[in-house]
Amino acid sequence: MSYGVKQERDWNALADEEFRAIVREDFETHYPKSQRFPPRRLRWSENKDWYLRMAEKGWIAYNWPLEYGGMGLAPKKLLIFLEEQERCGIVRFQDHGIIMVGPILIRFGTEAQRRTYLPPILSCEHLWCQGYSEPDAGSDLASLRTRAHLEGDEFVINGSKIWTTLAIDANHIFLLARTDPAAKKQEGISFLLVDMASPGITVRPIRDMAGHEELCEVFFDNVRTSRDNLVGELNRGWTIAKSLLGIERIHVGSPKLPEYGLSVLASLARARGLMADPVFRDRYLQLKLDVAHLADIYSEFTAIVERGEALGPEVSLLKIWATETFQRIADLHVEAAGACGGLSGDVAVEGATINVLAPYYKARTPTIYGGSNEIQRNILAKQVLDLPS
Amino acid sequence: MSDETLSMLADSAEAFARPDARRVRALRDTETGFDPGLWTRIADQGWLSILVPESMDGLGLGMAAAAVIAQRLGYALYPEPYVASGVMAIRCLASGDDETLQRRHLPGLMSGERIAAVAWQGESGDLDIGACGVTAAPSADGAALSGTCRFVPVAFADAFIVAARGADGLSLYWVERGAAGLACAPERCADGTHSARLALSGLRVPDSARIAGPSRAGTSLQCAIDAALVATAAELVGIMNRALELTLEYLRTRKQFGRAIGSFQALQHRAVDIWIQKELSRAAVAAAVRALDDPKTDARTQSAAASGAKARAAQAALALCREALQMHGAIGYTDEYDLGLYYNRALTLSAWLGNAAEQRRRYGELAGGEQP
Repeated sequence: MSYGVKQERDWNALADEEFRAIVREDFETHYPKSQRFPPRRLRWSENKDWYLRMAEKGWIAYNWPLEYGGMGLAPKKLLIFLEEQERCGIVRFQDHGIIMVGPILIRFGTEAQRRTYLPPILSCEHLWCQGYSEPDAGSDLASLRTRAHLEGDEFVINGSKIWTTLAIDANHIFLLARTDPAAKKQEGISFLLVDMASPGITVRPIRDMAGHEELCEVFFDNVRTSRDNLVGELNRGWTIAKSLLGIERIHVGSPKLPEYGLSVLASLARARGLMADPVFRDRYLQLKLDVAHLADIYSEFTAIVERGEALGPEVSLLKIWATETFQRIADLHVEAAGACGGLSGDVAVEGATINVLAPYYKARTPTIYGGSNEIQRNILAKQVLDLPS
Repeated sequence: MSDETLSMLADSAEAFARPDARRVRALRDTETGFDPGLWTRIADQGWLSILVPESMDGLGLGMAAAAVIAQRLGYALYPEPYVASGVMAIRCLASGDDETLQRRHLPGLMSGERIAAVAWQGESGDLDIGACGVTAAPSADGAALSGTCRFVPVAFADAFIVAARGADGLSLYWVERGAAGLACAPERCADGTHSARLALSGLRVPDSARIAGPSRAGTSLQCAIDAALVATAAELVGIMNRALELTLEYLRTRKQFGRAIGSFQALQHRAVDIWIQKELSRAAVAAAVRALDDPKTDARTQSAAASGAKARAAQAALALCREALQMHGAIGYTDEYDLGLYYNRALTLSAWLGNAAEQRRRYGELAGGEQP
């Protein structure tokens, strides 16, 4: 069976910079200017034209191998693709199908699961959301309590998930559910695929402090899914959930967003004449160095991925430094705005129109999601610094 | 140079230089502040020839090699002036435009027989090379130098490369320690070494002692300063590696309330944060080394990378030592425990050639984009 659209060229045969130029040219020409660096995640209704175009072009699954309809990019080319996406301020859609479900099914799924699920992910017909966190299982994810038990050829699921990003845009969900209540925490968990149209699923959007509704709660009341939708072995779902690939692990540490934040801060500061203030200037330069040295160390990690080597636990450093640097930049952005720092939405600042609080809100969550920065520090303390339990 | 050569160099530096706190304590406040015999052995390793081009009988290995050595000597806490003389003075002389002087003085510096230091900062330690505290007035066969130089890193150097402003601009002169009109007063540094405060009163230098004239002096000096900034940052990384090692070992073994204090999350997270700063410093130094060794990178970008690396390493080293001391508790503050030696060395090196705040300012001027 062949998947997706045929690639127009063998990307890996191109020189890196040639590939970069092609991608940049395409993004610059076709990505709508109005959607660059938006203050929030966009809804599918807002950016589906762009991603349907990506799907038709065969660029939707940039991280998948060729044989499954992906771009088949070598690590360096993949990084270039992601960098150009970030450089252009292209915001992600509900792409868990692309970044999670596809790679997981390619690695752990059955042939039948791949045939069923990969084509609709490639065409964006299926949009997936991730059902991991629960009200009582955040950082301690393995204590999750949503259960699934087998009845004949079906799993019956009961429980609830929370902080599910853009569940309102998704028509499928992959989730971790407890299938063996007697086993030790990590050992009784399975990885299941569920159609959101199944009876018994309720989605409730959660309004956040910025006034957006990106996060949701998902309730499961006797929801049935076929036994064929179990990925990997029964009770072995934890390993699958932890099997994030190298590039996904360093992506959150990319310097592009902090670099963008810094440029936004610089324009605001110039507009308000703050660059002449030595106190502000010193703080700004500190942040500029924080970003420059993030870029230096980020390139060391990407070099590891490019060589095809495995990333060690040290990579947690990137998440901590990138997200906290962006936070400090956003904090100074609000401070630099003075009285305008208390105004919501687009506001007039010295003749320019700036959404002062947008970076501030945007910077709050990355230190929480994807394993909070405290969890990252625990990992580093134990696995890198070899400190005792 | 290849990664393989660099890693061989790192191995031999590791075998050569091991931490020996007793030796370091014994050398504090001695006349030279370091061991001249060991300096000769450092020269025998070829490390003083690293930055001298092969055309002048050096190794021509570049900053990548110099940074490897500096980092190891930082780790082993060597007070021997590798960066001040082996990197800064030698690079300054080697990048001048007087081949006769280079042929005369480089061999003695490379062999370790003589030690030179660069004297360019005035009374206030301004980082602007045009603001040096010495002026050159024309005299019969050359110039007469007058003024003050401070923060000259090797108080007991055999010779100084003095930056002086004349009517035609900045020049660099080779001045022997015993020259008439030169008074040299040591100032004690935090680590027990000494830097010199030079007073020059009508000191006569012939034109033949001019290492670089106005067309070259600024570039030469800047090139030497940038190399020294990066090498000092590398030395600070070495210091951080060892200070962190001591601290982690202490956290693993020190028991209070019936358990190792390193099991407390409050301390674990602080230890992670200083490790992150150390890693950022290491990455910044590596990037600056690449910039300085890349002939295609323009001088301004090279200087910005050097300033950025020194700003990061200076700030990180002091933060790391501060936290290391706090996590050790009172024992960390004693002279008997080694941490204080590293802390004092970090204080000395962080301040030399511009501390973190000063280097941030220089970085801002060089990296651009922040002008009002």
